[in-house]
Amino acid sequence: MTSNDPDIHTLTGAYALNALPQDERVVFEEHLDTCDPCARETDEFLTTTAKLGGLLSEPAPADLKASVLDEVDRTRQERPASGGEAEVVSLADRRRPPPAWITWITASAAAVAVIAVVAMGVQLGSVNDRLEQAESIASQATEQLDEVQSRSARIEQLLAAPDVQTVSYQQEGVHSRLVVSDERGEAVFVASGLDPAPHEHTYELWVHGDDGAVPVGLFDVENGATVTQIVEGDFASAAAIGVTVEPAGGSPQPTTDPVMVMELSS
Amino acid sequence: MDQDSPRVRAVRDESESTDDDLLLAVARGDRQAFSALYDRFASIAHGVVRGVVRDPSQSEEVAQEVFVEVWRMAPRFDPDRGSARTWLLTMAHRRAIDRVRSEQTSRDRTERAGHRDRGRSFDEVSEQVEVSLEHEQVRTALEVLTDLQREAVELAYYQGHTYREVAEILNTPLGTIKTRMRDGLIRLRDEMGVTA
Repeated sequence: MTSNDPDIHTLTGAYALNALPQDERVVFEEHLDTCDPCARETDEFLTTTAKLGGLLSEPAPADLKASVLDEVDRTRQERPASGGEAEVVSLADRRRPPPAWITWITASAAAVAVIAVVAMGVQLGSVNDRLEQAESIASQATEQLDEVQSRSARIEQLLAAPDVQTVSYQQEGVHSRLVVSDERGEAVFVASGLDPAPHEHTYELWVHGDDGAVPVGLFDVENGATVTQIVEGDFASAAAIGVTVEPAGGSPQPTTDPVMVMELSS
Repeated sequence: MDQDSPRVRAVRDESESTDDDLLLAVARGDRQAFSALYDRFASIAHGVVRGVVRDPSQSEEVAQEVFVEVWRMAPRFDPDRGSARTWLLTMAHRRAIDRVRSEQTSRDRTERAGHRDRGRSFDEVSEQVEVSLEHEQVRTALEVLTDLQREAVELAYYQGHTYREVAEILNTPLGTIKTRMRDGLIRLRDEMGVTA
């Protein structure tokens, strides 16, 4: 295979999965330097395969960090650009367009805003009103996007915490897990198979400790959906996490028997 | 809080940096940022390596190579092309694959290719998996693939087979496997993009 082979464009997938043998990998990388569509697709695919990798978390041996830091102390870093003179080239010149997924997210946030504005335009009186609405909707869309991003960053950080422990619960079609870090005072609660809370009711999460039950958050669930809830609390002295059904708005203390209880090992 | 000691304050600031910020700081030779980046990614990078390499002590060696390479190559990281996370996990996966392939160069690759259980299957691996929002997305996305797409993607990514080996294992023409890998990733990409 050469970098001019017309078939080469189909190799983006195999390349991103690291399924090309060494010699073909080298040829394909040459091709990437000259084919923008393939380069863009490859960048997107690598983001995709990295997500596949995210499933494989497994704690590293405790002494690995010391060995790494030790070797790093003896290792010189590469120069920023590939060649000596290339360093002079400004970053802006080397800049590629952002990965398509970023463009896509931005575009879709904008599209949501545009559709909403168009829908609303029918009812709005003045052009000024519409502009203000457009701005506020666009900024809401951006806020939502930021929220989603910071939420997943927070979950990732929590999962990476050194003291993280996982507690599972499984009964009658309800599966849930709680990933807790005492040190961070944070947990992620994930549950599937829960029925939606009854009309004008909500689920409430509790931390049970020496001081009794402390409310740590409300959630509801749509039919068949998975709940992912970030919970803050003092888990170090907690014995268990419980979930009850409470009237809408929540209660200061549990008023019903728990739907589930997950015991924490201390 | 005012009574925080400076050290606690510094650590707290790092825990609030994004992955990209940390890696860009590492690119400037910041060792403390490197230490924080290590803490954040050690489990995932080690898991990716272990999934492909399997042998615990070899996995540890490869994971060490990966993090030293992260330090060495950080100045070449270009955030415009993808996130720090993608950069780092791509590096980890590639190093793991290289280790597995260099081990088998002298062996009969065809015979080896018929041997399906070098890596761990996705199901086995997923047993040990932590829960997160993203995991749910990835699993849901994998379910959307056709059987052939999913098998091709999993044999390559999770078990480290080349596309030729995948073609032999699945008894499917090479050209079809290449296309299924690409189609599969397009679907995964779109599926994950929609919910991201």
